[in-house]
Amino acid sequence: MDVQDAVAEGNSVASAEDNGDGKRDGQRKFTMGPNDSLEGKLVYDGHVHVDGRAEGEFKVTGNLDIAQGATARISIEAANVTVKGQVEGAVTARDKLTLAKNARLSGDIVVRRLQIEDGASLNGHVRMGDIEQNPSGG
Amino acid sequence: MSRIRPAAKVRSTEPPANGSDGDHSSVVLGPRDRLVGSLYIEGDLRVVGTVDGELEVTGSVEIDDGGSVTGPVTARDRLVVGRAGSLKGDVRVARLVVQDGATFSGKVSMGQAAVAPPKAVTPVIEPEPIKAPEAIKAPEAIKPPEPAKPPQPVKSTQAAKPQPTRAPQTKGKRR
Repeated sequence: MDVQDAVAEGNSVASAEDNGDGKRDGQRKFTMGPNDSLEGKLVYDGHVHVDGRAEGEFKVTGNLDIAQGATARISIEAANVTVKGQVEGAVTARDKLTLAKNARLSGDIVVRRLQIEDGASLNGHVRMGDIEQNPSGG
Repeated sequence: MSRIRPAAKVRSTEPPANGSDGDHSSVVLGPRDRLVGSLYIEGDLRVVGTVDGELEVTGSVEIDDGGSVTGPVTARDRLVVGRAGSLKGDVRVARLVVQDGATFSGKVSMGQAAVAPPKAVTPVIEPEPIKAPEAIKAPEAIKPPEPAKPPQPVKSTQAAKPQPTRAPQTKGKRR
């Protein structure tokens, strides 16, 4: 499932491989900067760091973080999801979802583990437990 | 107006947190305590035991150390589900903390707006607005005139013509 089918504005995707730290714990990393934006569907084998603006659907085999100041209207599926910015959309964390103290999340979430720090804001339905795995991942 | 008397039952090893200083109560449901029903507290609540029911608290709620709550929770300040706490129910809170390891399922409504309407505090009874009499419409009495009876057997050919109804006029014509 090494598919990357992102529809991006500007040259945000160009920064994907060289901007981030490339490989971390053996996984590739897709890094967006604060001025980048991405609209569409992204299926990525590795970690994703979202800054700037994102809209659409992200399916990630590794971890996904939403930086502080970032705004995302996306549905997310990833192993670990960390939100420090603002997210509107459904979130599935196969392992853990963390909402940092300035996070704002509006949407239904399905997680195995959940951590919400004081100051974070959440509106939506929480379901906790085992996530049914999608064998193909896409 | 707490509906339980915590002092009577709570025999936990928790720090002696139960008590009330006038307006503010502090209640601990210890590990061997159990509440089935609904509880309203003007103050803070710490649940280390089991609650099956509805909680509403003007201060903070903390569920931890094996504490388990099944039912809706409203906390006008803060709700903390500790790493060894479990909560299954919809929550309305101003602030929410969920520690890693906690179990939590339910709908979350957050922010001051979500907890704004004080449910258990002196319900404001508004008088029902009395409707002005003119607002009540008279029943519609005018029904469309029924098509008078099924067609009658007609006497003659004349009757078939539509006769203009000018009964009063015929008087004046022929003196």
